[in-house]
Amino acid sequence: MIDARDLTKTFGAHTAVDDISFRLEQGEVVGFLGPNGAGKTTTMRMLTGYLPATRGTIRVGGFDVLRESMQVRRRLGYLPENVPLYREYRVEEMLLFQARLHRMSKADAKRRCGEVLEQVGLTDRRRSRIGDLSRGLRQRAGLAVALLPNPDVLILDEPTSGLDPIQRLEVRALIRDLAAQHTVLLSSHILAEVEAVCPRVIILAEGRIAADGTPERLVSELGGGGHVRFEAVVGDAAVAREILESLPGVSRVEDDGRLGIHHQFDVYGSEDLREDVGALSAAKGWAIRELSWRQPTLEQLFARIALGLDKEAQLPSDRPVVTAPAADEPVKLVYNLDPFAGGAERPLDAPVDAAAAKKPAAPTLNPFENFGQSAPAAPPKPAGPTLNPFENFGRPAPSEDDPNRDVGGEG
Amino acid sequence: MSGAVAIFRRELSGLFFQPLAWVLLFLALLFNGYLFTYYVQATEGDVTEAMLLSLGQALPFWGVLCVLAPLITMRMISEESRNGVLEFLLTAPVTDAAVVAGKLLAATFFFAVLWSSVPLYGLVIDLLGTSPDWGQLLTAYAGSVLLSAFFCALGLFASTLTSTPALAAFLAFLLNIGFLLLPLLKRVLVGVVSEDLLEAAVAKVDVMTRFQSSFMVGALDTGHLVFFLAWTGALLFATVRLLETRRWS
Repeated sequence: MIDARDLTKTFGAHTAVDDISFRLEQGEVVGFLGPNGAGKTTTMRMLTGYLPATRGTIRVGGFDVLRESMQVRRRLGYLPENVPLYREYRVEEMLLFQARLHRMSKADAKRRCGEVLEQVGLTDRRRSRIGDLSRGLRQRAGLAVALLPNPDVLILDEPTSGLDPIQRLEVRALIRDLAAQHTVLLSSHILAEVEAVCPRVIILAEGRIAADGTPERLVSELGGGGHVRFEAVVGDAAVAREILESLPGVSRVEDDGRLGIHHQFDVYGSEDLREDVGALSAAKGWAIRELSWRQPTLEQLFARIALGLDKEAQLPSDRPVVTAPAADEPVKLVYNLDPFAGGAERPLDAPVDAAAAKKPAAPTLNPFENFGQSAPAAPPKPAGPTLNPFENFGRPAPSEDDPNRDVGGEG
Repeated sequence: MSGAVAIFRRELSGLFFQPLAWVLLFLALLFNGYLFTYYVQATEGDVTEAMLLSLGQALPFWGVLCVLAPLITMRMISEESRNGVLEFLLTAPVTDAAVVAGKLLAATFFFAVLWSSVPLYGLVIDLLGTSPDWGQLLTAYAGSVLLSAFFCALGLFASTLTSTPALAAFLAFLLNIGFLLLPLLKRVLVGVVSEDLLEAAVAKVDVMTRFQSSFMVGALDTGHLVFFLAWTGALLFATVRLLETRRWS
């Protein structure tokens, strides 16, 4: 539906968009993600034909944006970031104006007006002046205006900026509904939003495409796997850690310290080890407070890309990296996961997962990992939030930030 | 065309939804009415003459035009470029030319309403018994509307140059005055350029003399018609191009 090739836009010496290409198929919902100044709005303006590209071509629905501008404009609904609407107009009047611009018949215009107002939930405010509407309602009015001619392609620049969380949820739901009939390209710097709405994400940084794919794929490709957060009453933490490390598939275990009577561990491994850890703790009789699968969020990836942090680059880590026991060390206990074995400890001659055990834990790729933690022999992190905003940088967000993650559903 | 009509309707409502147009209309009509009674007295009851004076024969008409046209057109493009509505219009399925033409039509319509007060006086006086020369009067009215279109085009051009309405108005005012004073070049350049060339050159820009020697005397000369239409068209063209340069800059 949208085919942009080798798109470049320069403003004088400044290159806002640098040789990007992408395609959107019909019915796709794609999120443009990037920090301010990454070139999102410029790209969108080029797609709508408002700005001509310095180099490159764009076709929308098979029409060239510059040469067959009118055909493209008729097929395209565009909502700029600041929602430009005539403030003195009533919502309905604005819609009728849009209908006249699109040469809709009177009957058509009336019908579509009712439909889109219903769609965006503004039916009861149809007689309100746009200048009197709140930011959120105006955003919806803008969406209604863009939707009115039933365009094939919808381009929404920051459709939820300035909205309160509830309005944001509503707009998200609305956009998801639109996906069935329209190809939607929306931009945002709010990641949760893009993750929630868009099956595909294009991350722009400094005018280039930094990543393109499904959020899950981006997370797994760029951010590495996840880990299991395990919090329980374990008695001796060191022993518990050793037992956890001996689980097959575990590459390393981080001891995050004591929280009250509970102990927190981050168990890293090749896959989701929740069941194994759960079985282990059931067998050991540890009272579990938390057992969850933590994955780096798109947010962290995004921050990494946006800050221009190379994956390889990292600050010298002065924090002792927890490594799995070396192969020559005697492995004392290997836990039997057979549910019928009653969780009996049994010594084994060889580690179950020798390869995993041998492999030293990979140094993390996050230069901010140790940010805010000083000495190598740092005492375990105090429980509770600290004032350091970077404390959890690069690590899975605490659950209160992202309740969706733990329930496993999309928000 | 239908795009221009849509823009025209929108601009009209934009104009008349705001108090500015009403205030200006009120003041101009008050001024016009006062002038008309004055002219009637000065011409000792020659109604047609008094009306022609109101429609361009006398200087106050030009003063009103020079001041009002910038005030009416100042916001039309500058403000929309500032609040982003222009982005909406220029991505809507209408051509840039239709956008500008629609706006020009709306501004001209305002002046058509304003100057229609004079034929209205004529109608009232006709009903009271003294019949003015309707042919001449209506020609003069049509001419004044055409002339207003020219000044509005200048105003729109200025409005495209800046995104500050007040600055646009001031610029347009200067352009208006400059245009009206251009014929003075004849006096400045006398002796520098040949007399014939000067005469011919000034005739191409002398709005006031053209207007007063054609529409005012009741003659609909296509040459003069084309003169005004061409100037308005040229300004519209420049405005559209200027609008386009925003995209390239």
